[in-house]
Amino acid sequence: MDVDDQLTPALTLRGVSKRYGPVVACDAVDLAVRPGEIHGLLGENGAGKSTLMKILLGLVHRDAGTITRGTEPVEIDSPQVAADLGLGMVHQHFSLIEPLTVWENVILGDTGRIDRAAACAQVEEVSRRYGLPIDPHARIDRLSAGERQRVELIKCLRRDPSILILDEPTSVLTQAESAELFTVLRRVVQAERRAVILISHKLAEIMAATDRVTVLRRGAVAFHGATKDTTAQQLARQMVGREVSLQSESAALGLLPVERPEPVEGVAPAAGNAATPERPAALRLREVTLLVGGLPVLDKLSLDVAPGEIVGLYGVEGNGQATVGELLSGLLVPDSGTVELDGRPVDLVRPGALHTAGLGIVPEDRHHSGVVLDMSVAENLVMKSLAGVTARGVLSRRKMHRIAQRQMAEFNIVAPSPDTPLRSLSGGNQQRVVLARELSAGPKALVAAQPTHGLDVGAIEDMYVRLRQAAAEGVAVLLISTELEEVMALANRIAVISSGRIVGVLPTAEATAERLGMLVGGVSH
Amino acid sequence: MSAADNIATILSSGARLTVPLAFAACGEYVAQRAGTLNISVEAMMLGAAFGSIAVASATGSATIGLVAGALVGVAVAFVHGILSHRVQINTFVVGLVLNALVLGLTSYLITVSTFTGHQVWQVDIPVLRDIPIIGPMLFVQRWPVYLLLAVVPLTWWLVERSRWGLELRAVGENPQAADVSGIEVNKRRRQALLWCGLLAGLGGAYLAVGEVGSFNQNMTAGRGYLVIAAVIFGAWRLGRTLIGCVVFGLADAMRLALPALGVTMNSQLLIAAPYLLALLAMLVFATAHREPRALAQPFQRGTT
Repeated sequence: MDVDDQLTPALTLRGVSKRYGPVVACDAVDLAVRPGEIHGLLGENGAGKSTLMKILLGLVHRDAGTITRGTEPVEIDSPQVAADLGLGMVHQHFSLIEPLTVWENVILGDTGRIDRAAACAQVEEVSRRYGLPIDPHARIDRLSAGERQRVELIKCLRRDPSILILDEPTSVLTQAESAELFTVLRRVVQAERRAVILISHKLAEIMAATDRVTVLRRGAVAFHGATKDTTAQQLARQMVGREVSLQSESAALGLLPVERPEPVEGVAPAAGNAATPERPAALRLREVTLLVGGLPVLDKLSLDVAPGEIVGLYGVEGNGQATVGELLSGLLVPDSGTVELDGRPVDLVRPGALHTAGLGIVPEDRHHSGVVLDMSVAENLVMKSLAGVTARGVLSRRKMHRIAQRQMAEFNIVAPSPDTPLRSLSGGNQQRVVLARELSAGPKALVAAQPTHGLDVGAIEDMYVRLRQAAAEGVAVLLISTELEEVMALANRIAVISSGRIVGVLPTAEATAERLGMLVGGVSH
Repeated sequence: MSAADNIATILSSGARLTVPLAFAACGEYVAQRAGTLNISVEAMMLGAAFGSIAVASATGSATIGLVAGALVGVAVAFVHGILSHRVQINTFVVGLVLNALVLGLTSYLITVSTFTGHQVWQVDIPVLRDIPIIGPMLFVQRWPVYLLLAVVPLTWWLVERSRWGLELRAVGENPQAADVSGIEVNKRRRQALLWCGLLAGLGGAYLAVGEVGSFNQNMTAGRGYLVIAAVIFGAWRLGRTLIGCVVFGLADAMRLALPALGVTMNSQLLIAAPYLLALLAMLVFATAHREPRALAQPFQRGTT
């Protein structure tokens, strides 16, 4: 039955390894991809998937191993060589140039004279053949995430690749857009016998869309086989390296079907604490509007979070929730509207005003605005409350150490000493440093933006416990997340954001996948 | 002199003072679109001015001098390109060092050498030159001025219509994306710098063998910085950049003409006028516009 097993693989990797200093990113990886199949490459963040693909694309040089294209051994030392070998990549972060038009982006990297008419005709031809409608003259910065994904696909398919690599392609797409993508991919492998490598950390996606699957764990191949002969539970076990039981873990892995929202015993969200007229909100956004290039990114957005509750701000990426995070970090100043803490409006123009007013923030990109990687753990921990460790402008190292050691013990921060540079800590411990600093300041409200992005399962679980604990102690917690399962597992109420406005707020108990899906899609009734 | 004559004089000298700026601005524009905020344009112009007079004096031909000047500009660009887009030294540091180096070198060399003056020939179109006010400005100029009329549309075409220009713009906006599309980012940036060196060289050489006929110490006097200001003033569009050059050129002409018109002002203050104007113009016009997103950001594969 499975004739594909007899086929010569389109691409074979044998013993491919790559180290970055002491860190092993890829450890003797074997991988064989056949024509006419979608091959899933599954692994947690940091399992080595992206490094492996960068090796295939000539962006990173491997330390050991061989790569065979068909039957020929090959050396891929630049993106040009990769393209010549028929390897096409659709990148996780779009590789499109925003001020250029669709057709200009599509022909980027070609050679010879520019023929605008021919380029547009080609775009339209590819777009028709695969059912990816797009206007070749549109400028990229005017397109939605889904449309950009189409342009990426067209750009890739126009070069007629025999192997198509997609790196986390659905991370910014709605469910409908994801479904459309997988339909196109099916056509690509079935009708045209191309090979597709689908890199993902979402189990549901791998189960639904792939023919074969390879699981990477800490750089090495942990499992390899036909998708239909395995189960999601088995793959999850291989990916994590142990049994997955906790609901929040499963949620983080994308294991839970969205259709099953009822919480499991023991990890149920705390009892509802919705803001009522009698209990004023600790954190209130009132009619906040923020324009970028004349277009509203936030459009009269209003939101209340009461003390002791967790509100999940959920929506598809690119609908403004990242902007809410940046706004509450003090990185952006709104064009109109106010942010109030305990009923008092905050002057957002003054640096540090939100922190002074009692708002803690775990920012989405901790390396960007959460920590200073080259400073020590202790320095990062006291950074926002220097008054407590200085006397007449002189830092007291003794006080700093004492505070740091207390917080490290309290928040399970694993580091050799308070003087260790933060850079050498794992992502989970770096995130704990941020959380420890913010919670130790005794905030009235805490904003956690994508707090578990890039963390391993243990650190995710720890983060969940801390957030629940903070809420139980009376802190108003705003959880900004694009992971529905995460929001479902933590929040008392879910506020859905779409095109920069809150389109609905539901108690988690009433939030069914269907209702949320409608809201996310912008349908409010 | 009548008022019309005065205006004609100012316009004509304004046009001549605009020419070196416009040449160099066409080059700087290309370098910046590719992502290099090239401050060594001052060194390119000054080195070219010196080189053109030295070669003109040696060969007796101002035209050969002009070509030599352009090559000096290319040489400076080559050094800059290698240092900042191959060895990856900070482009501002490279630019500052080159500017200081060329200023010192030419200042020394001019004290130890004697050059004879040379000037490229002048085009003087009969009849047309007698058109009031604009006649002298448009039809009595040295020949490289008419070369400029070809360089401007060529620069526009290269950036907006050629594949090289498309790749250049991609490199200036998003080098990582350009790289994965198979474009050699640093090579394109070096090439853009060479184009900048060629044109800034022509501009500097024109100043010496076209405008003045000799070289004196620091004769560009910061015109390279005016060129950078013009590109920013022009919001990274060629047309507006050239308008910026004309504004700065006219300001310079006014400065020279004011004493002749009987206006007495402190001459040092007048020298500062075009720069002050550049500052004000950028304050008013430049803030709202969008620069190439990767301007002044180095690119190395493997880093994000």
